Formats: sequence, C-alpha cells, structure tokens
Amino acid sequence: MSVRHRAILLAICLTACGAKDEARQLAPILGSAPGEVEINVPAKLSSIEVDAVDPLGRPLRIACATCHTTKETAVLPESPSELQAFHVGLQFQHGSNRCASCHVSEPLRAPKLRLADGTELPMTEALQLCAQCHGPQYRDYKAGAHGGMQGFWDLRRGGRTRNHCVDCHDPHVPKPPQVLPAAAMRDRIPVAAPARGEEGHE
Amino acid sequence: MTPTKRRTLKVLGATLGASAFAYAVEPLRAFTQNITLDQFLQGHFKELTPEQLEVTLARLEQETKDRHGRDVTIRADPAIEGVEFGYGLNLSICVGCRKCAEACHVENNHDRASNNSYIRVLEMTQGSFNLEHGNASYDHAVPAPDKYYLPVQCQQCDNPPCTKVCPVEATWKEPDGIVVVDYDWCIGCRYCEAACPYHARRFNWTTPEIAPEEINPDQGYLSNRIRPQGVMEKCTFCLHRTRRGELPACLEACPTGARVFGNLLDPESEIRWVLANKRVFVLKEELGTRPRFFYFFDK
Amino acid sequence: MTKDADAPTDSSPDAGLPSDEWTSPPPAPETLPPRSLRLPMRTDSSATMARMLEEAGKQASPEIRESERPPAVSERVTSIPPPISSRGGVHPDIPSYTLFLWRIAKTAFESTWRYYLWMTMLTILALIGVNAWAGQTGGGMIHTNMTDHVSWGLYIANFTFGVGLAAGAVMMVIPAYVYDDHDMHDVVIFGELLAIAAIVISLLFVIVDMGRPDRLWHLLPGIGRFNWPRSMLTWDVIVLNGYLLLNLHIAGYLLYMRFLGRRPARRWYVPFVFISIGWAISVHAVTAFLYAGLGGRPFWNTALLAPRFIVTAFVSGPAFVIVLLQVVRMFSAYQIGDGPIHTLRQILRVTIPANLFMFGSEVFTAFYSGGAHAASMRYLLMGLHGKTTLVPWMWGALALNFASLLIVYLPVSRKNLRLLTAGCSMAFGGIWVEKGMGLIVPGFVPSTLHEVIEYQPSLTEWKVSIGIWAAGLLVLTVAVKVALRVLTGRVTIDTYAHSLPPRALPGGTGL
Repeated sequence: MSVRHRAILLAICLTACGAKDEARQLAPILGSAPGEVEINVPAKLSSIEVDAVDPLGRPLRIACATCHTTKETAVLPESPSELQAFHVGLQFQHGSNRCASCHVSEPLRAPKLRLADGTELPMTEALQLCAQCHGPQYRDYKAGAHGGMQGFWDLRRGGRTRNHCVDCHDPHVPKPPQVLPAAAMRDRIPVAAPARGEEGHE
Repeated sequence: MTPTKRRTLKVLGATLGASAFAYAVEPLRAFTQNITLDQFLQGHFKELTPEQLEVTLARLEQETKDRHGRDVTIRADPAIEGVEFGYGLNLSICVGCRKCAEACHVENNHDRASNNSYIRVLEMTQGSFNLEHGNASYDHAVPAPDKYYLPVQCQQCDNPPCTKVCPVEATWKEPDGIVVVDYDWCIGCRYCEAACPYHARRFNWTTPEIAPEEINPDQGYLSNRIRPQGVMEKCTFCLHRTRRGELPACLEACPTGARVFGNLLDPESEIRWVLANKRVFVLKEELGTRPRFFYFFDK
Repeated sequence: MTKDADAPTDSSPDAGLPSDEWTSPPPAPETLPPRSLRLPMRTDSSATMARMLEEAGKQASPEIRESERPPAVSERVTSIPPPISSRGGVHPDIPSYTLFLWRIAKTAFESTWRYYLWMTMLTILALIGVNAWAGQTGGGMIHTNMTDHVSWGLYIANFTFGVGLAAGAVMMVIPAYVYDDHDMHDVVIFGELLAIAAIVISLLFVIVDMGRPDRLWHLLPGIGRFNWPRSMLTWDVIVLNGYLLLNLHIAGYLLYMRFLGRRPARRWYVPFVFISIGWAISVHAVTAFLYAGLGGRPFWNTALLAPRFIVTAFVSGPAFVIVLLQVVRMFSAYQIGDGPIHTLRQILRVTIPANLFMFGSEVFTAFYSGGAHAASMRYLLMGLHGKTTLVPWMWGALALNFASLLIVYLPVSRKNLRLLTAGCSMAFGGIWVEKGMGLIVPGFVPSTLHEVIEYQPSLTEWKVSIGIWAAGLLVLTVAVKVALRVLTGRVTIDTYAHSLPPRALPGGTGL
C-alpha cells in the first residue's frame, strides 16, 4: 500500500474516531517521493494566528507580509515587553538574545531573519538560524537523531517528512512545554477472584 | 447387600459420574467449537509452502472479518536481504509523553480494555540508573524536573533468552534481526515471558477486543494481526511496515525525535551515525543478550 | 535393620545377590503372622476365612489382646502370602495380560463403603477442578490471577513440588537396591506407585498452565517442532514421561509376575531400577535447570537451585511415604515392618537440615552483599515497598521445617508414629510452601524492570489445583489398592477374590 493510499485511509479513520487517537493526527504529508526528505515548513513561519475566525469557523491566519509591507512598522524594541500595538503579550525566554539578534524589521518590507554576521534569511529558512548557534543539535538533526519524522527509513523506497525546529521549539520560548502523558498501561492487578464467565480486570 | 443391588448402584454411580463429567467440561464446548480443523492442523510458519501460506492468510483474513467485523489485509513479507534493523533512543530528548506507547497500542491492534502496549516508559531519577526506583505509572505533566524517561520494549537481542527456551520453536529470530512469534503455533506455556530480562513479552490472557473501526487493517502475519487468546506476543519493530521500508509507528509518533531507526548494515543510515557518534549503551549488558536497542544521552 | 527371615542360604543360586521378597519362597497360608483383628478379612469363602481366623487367633491372642498396635520390629515377619497358583507359574502372553488388566480394573471398583466414599469425594473434587479448568480454557487465562508481571503461579508451583515428590518417592530404591536393605524391598513398590501418581499430577499441572492446551501436539517430535536440546522444557518433557514409563514398567512387571505366580526375571526389572535412581535425580535436576538457566531472574539464577531441589525432593518423598505406609498398614493385611519407616526417618534426619542449610546459604549470599539481587529474597522474607503477601507464608514454612526437624531428631519419634506422622506432615507442608509458591512467585517479584506487582491465586486456580491433587490421589489409591490385592495373593491368574465383606464374621463386621 503506497504512502498516498495509507494517508487517505488514515484520514478516513481519523474522521471515524475523532480526536481520540492523537497519534493518528501526525499523518504523513502526501507527496514524499523516494529519496526525498522534506522538511516541514510550519505555517507560523510565514503567518500569524489571530483571534478571529473565517466564515467556515477555522482560525484565521494572516501572512506576515500583509501587515509588514503595507504599514509603517516600528523599530525593533529591546524586549518584547515594550511592544504596545502589535504582537503584544509575546513571551520571551531565549537566553540573552534580543529581538534584533534574529529579526530584521524594516518599514514596508517583508520581515526577515538575520544571521550573526548580518546575512539576511527569509523567515522560512529559520532552520539555518537555529543551526548557527545550536550546532550539536543541528548536527544530530541532520543525522536523523533529533526531531520527529514520518515516512520511510529506506529512502530508496519512499520519502520522509521531517519536523522543523519550530514545530516543537517556539523560537521565543524554545523549551518545549510540559505535556500530560498518554495513559499508562492498565496493569492487571486482580483484586478479587473472578466468577466463572466474568472478566478478571480490576 | 446383594450383588445385584451392588451392581445396580455401581451402574447408577457410573451414569451419575459420566453426566457430572459432561457437565463439568461444558465450557470447553464453546472453545472447541471456535476452533476449525484447519486452524487446529495448521503447521509452523516456517514449514508452510507458499501456496499453504496464501491459503492460511486468506483464511485468517476471513476469520478476522467474522470475529472482529473488519476487512483486513494480512501480509507475510519476508526479511529483506542486506538489512538488519537497529533502534536508537535518545534519553536526553525523551520527555515521557508516552505517545510511542499509544501509537504502538493503536498500530498493533492491542486489547483496548487493558490499554496494552509493547512499550513501557519508566520515569527515572536523574543521576541514577537504578531500575528499582523507576516508575511506570506516572500520571503528571512531563517532563518532570529531575527526571528522565526510559522507554523499554523488546530489544530484539542477538542472543535472545526467549527463543532458547521455547519448547516448540514458536518464536525465533528472523534474518533481519527481529524476534518473531508464530501466534498459531505458540502453546502458551509462558516460558519465554519468564526468560525475558526486559519485560518485553505480553501474554493474551483473553481474546483481544477492539471496536471494528479502530482496527488497523494493515496487518502482518508475524506482527500486528489480531492475536488469539492464550498466546504470546511482543514488539516486532512493526515489521509489516519496516519490511516495506516505512518507519515504525512508535518512531513516527515521537514528537521530539528521540527515536532513531534504520539498517545497521547500511553505513549511511541514521542508526549507524548514532552508533559512531554517540555514546550508546544497552540495558543489562552483563546478561550477554546483545540487544539491538541502543540508548544514548546527548551529553 | 533386621534381616529377612526367609533370606536364601548360601547354597541357593541367588547367593551373593541382593535378596528380596520375590526370590525367597513365600510361607504357607497356615503360618500367617498375627494381625490385628480389628479388620475383617477378605477372602473368597467364609469357610477358609473362618479357618484362617482360628489359626490366627491361636497364634495371635496373647499379643493382640494386650495392645492394638503392631508388634515391635524384631517380632514381625516381613513376608507375604504365597500366590495361590496350582501351576508353576503361568507363561505371560496377551490373554493372561488382558486378564491381568481386566482383573485389576475390576479391583479398582470393588471395595468397602469407606473406599467408595473416599473415591467419590476425590471424584467430586476432581470434577470441580475439571470444570474450573474448562472455564479457564474457554474464557482465557484471565480467570487466573496471573499477570504479565507474575506469569507463573500456583500451577507451576504445584508442578515443581509434584516433580520433587515423584523423584523423592523413589528414594526408597537406593537403600533397597544399593545398600541391600531387605526390609525396604517390601515397600519399594509403594514408592514407585507414588512416583507414578506424582508424575501424573505434575503433567496435569503443566497442561492446565498452558494457554493453548489444544496445541499440545506441537510438542510431539516429528509431528510438531520439538526444540531439543536448547529448551529445558523439552528435556523436562522427555525425562518426566520417561520416568513415568520407567515406573509403570517396574511396578507393572513385578505385579504382573506376581499375578501369574512367576518369579520375576531380574533382567527385566533390576536394570530399570538402577536406571530409575539416576533418572529420578535427573528429572528433578532438569526441572531445576528450567529456572536456574534464566539469567534475567537472579532469584533463580543460582547453582544451588538443583541441589536444593533434590534435597527437598528427598524430604517430601519420604515424608509422604512414611504416612502412606501407615495408611497401607491400617487398611490392608500386607505386612510392613517398622524398618522401612525407620530408614526413611533417618533419611529425613539428613535431608531436612540439609535443605535448611542451603536456604540459609541463599539468604546469606543475598543479604550480605545486598544490592538489587537481594530484592526477591527481601520480598519473600520481609516484604518489598510495603508488599508483604508472601511473608507470613514463608516464615510459616520455615517454622514447619524447623518443627519437623526437631521431631525427627527426637528419639521418641522412632516409636511414636503419630508424632512422626505429624512431623512428616509439617515437613511436607513446609516444603510445599517453600518450593512451590515460595520459589516461583519471588522469581517474578520484583519484575525484570523492578516493579513490584503481587500475586495471589484466584478461585479458579485453587479449584483446578485441588482437583488435580484429588485426581492424583485417585490414581494413587487405585494403584496401591491394586498392588495390595495382587501382592497379598487375592488377585491372581487363577483366582479373583472379591472385596465384599463376608456376611457372617465372628466379632461383627464393623470397622
């Protein structure tokens, strides 16, 4: 069964079982061809989620460029607490970095990222920016020892989709938040002898 | 008492005894009725000819449909030449979310009532590797401070104590390194479960019950088809997937990428990179089991 | 130990060979030794019986009126009545063997009301067990309380103990055939019959522990796949069944020859007897290796396990046989001297302390070095993380063992058979706990991932276990009854003596 068919089947199963099977929601992205290692480009790199919803009820996302190319944006502040009009409430816990350490924000230009030597990067190339400081993790990531993936281990037979850094690490608060674990196995700890015909579960 | 009276009493006693016996073994009737002659006479997997295998797979698919209400495909892909699987696990990144255990539960058609899984995640204290202080039933937000998490599943040992002790050779190590169980050959003596040092094996104390819509229909004969009652089972590195080149379900579910899987014989594989560049270790190395499951820390 | 009064003289062809009751000419019926008159005699004619009573009364009156207990060893003649055969022994062939089987089968179903009551009780218990097992097979092992943490429980505990009982029952063979204990020769057969029953019990326990008993045929070499020599379970299958066949042959052959009124040919049983000595040791050593070979279970992974198994087998076997011999004395005319009982008591005097010493050695090794490997022993003796289910059982077993040690060392237990029986029961019970539940369960607690999940057998498991023990006692009762009937000459190729109580018996028929 090809990746495509499997993904369709998974999609059908997803709708059938709802949100219960959280593992199924990480469905492989269609289109991975053999040998292709596709790195996911999360939407948050090029758009921002706002509180409003669209006519179909889905959360509305607005592209960064929409505002940044049409409005006169302010100068990058020293810290996010100084933001007053837009991006208010942004949490920040990334060492001793400042906004200008990574961002380039000039009026009427799409926002860009910058490396330490001033080289500009499009926002979608954030991975390079993470890599410039977090070398060991980037090295592990390239070798396949860091960061989630879906698809094929055998790239001669299929492709693979990799998580992007920001899929797990919010660049402003990179430490992943705590989560509640999935339920543990219900070990059979029989408390009473089951009568004939009854199950012995606790 | 006259001999005739005695004989009459004896006949009465014998009749009573026979009917009592028939009543006593009545629950067996349902059990034996469920077993067809084909099932009963089915030979060992390694001895089935390709035609017999095809017939067997078709019969098993039909039985699954009858018993569990879902159309399934059961494959029996052989091991690929030049492939030997290895698995790595990064203990620095694992956060103990148990998504791997959950994915295993779903992928392998486990009994829903027990939330069974081949993976058991132990919460360990930083600075200690004492399994006695591990806890598998933690229920709080993870990762907890000062803890690290140790998922344990079948290590697919190179010198497996479990295959040594099976009296009927129902479990063996395949050429690609996976230790498999023939569910239709296992007699359920549980000697392998006693022999395994990693708590990797599970026994079907009852027939697994799964709602039809939750069944994973992509099944393998030696891996995730729905097992009958009274037989052993274990992690098979999702061989119905991995022999097709796909990643195992636990790896795909891991959000942090702590799991690394690949072909140990391929020098370019991720697992080979881990073995060459990380300080890997195995559990209970002193037992001489030579696991294929390698743990490592980043620092 | 007294010499057999009928031992052959030096001129006999058997000079120099170990003598036994089969080679010495049996005495005539008129010289029947005195016996307790509390029991009605069982013959095929009341006239013969009356005559025999008169004879016995003439000889027995002074002693029997004084005390009801059997006379002292020196006064006893350990011989048996002759086979009632007019010919010089019938040639063995298929018709006579068929008659043998038919007659002993009839014997199994004919006896006193006490026998019927006993057998009915046992049958009821066995049927309850069968029913519970049928429910377990149909509904799954979930009817037991075993889990993936403690995956072996009461069944395998009883299996281990049963194999030990079988191995130890043949303990009497060593004094009889290796050390020429003549008194022991008369009673060796009871040990072999006990071994047969104990093997049946063990095999039944293994079968009920299987998740798929319908797949038993997978074990058959040639048809199934028999993982010999790698799997110790296959060794166990071979030695257990071989031991069963060995004992069936020896006992069956001797009884069949007695039935035919023939002298048994030594080549058909003596070599097998010697083989059975070695085989008994290997049966239980193999069972021990089942557990001792598992590196992942440090509680079992000790070299001392096989010696401990042998020694405890030689506690439980002789303990049971001492009680069995007294039961045989109570319900049969077969003469059993005190010699065998004293010999077995001497054996207990060695094996009970040997076992306690080995256990002490295990305890020291575990606790002095400490560490995680002591966890199972700690669980057994003190509890682990607050889980203490087995602690009272284990200390109780130790108390029983020490009490039985005391009893067998008291000089008074030599004469006071009631005290000895009490001591034997304590030893039996103590070993059952220590070797059964006290060995199997701690091997799983803590688990291989060091988790502590406890285990207590479920009702189904108790029912099945008691049912199997009842079935084993059924087998033993039938076997002993049949053997006694043949040995006392009441069932032969020529005669079949019914076991109906005579209608008229001087002194009443009450038992």
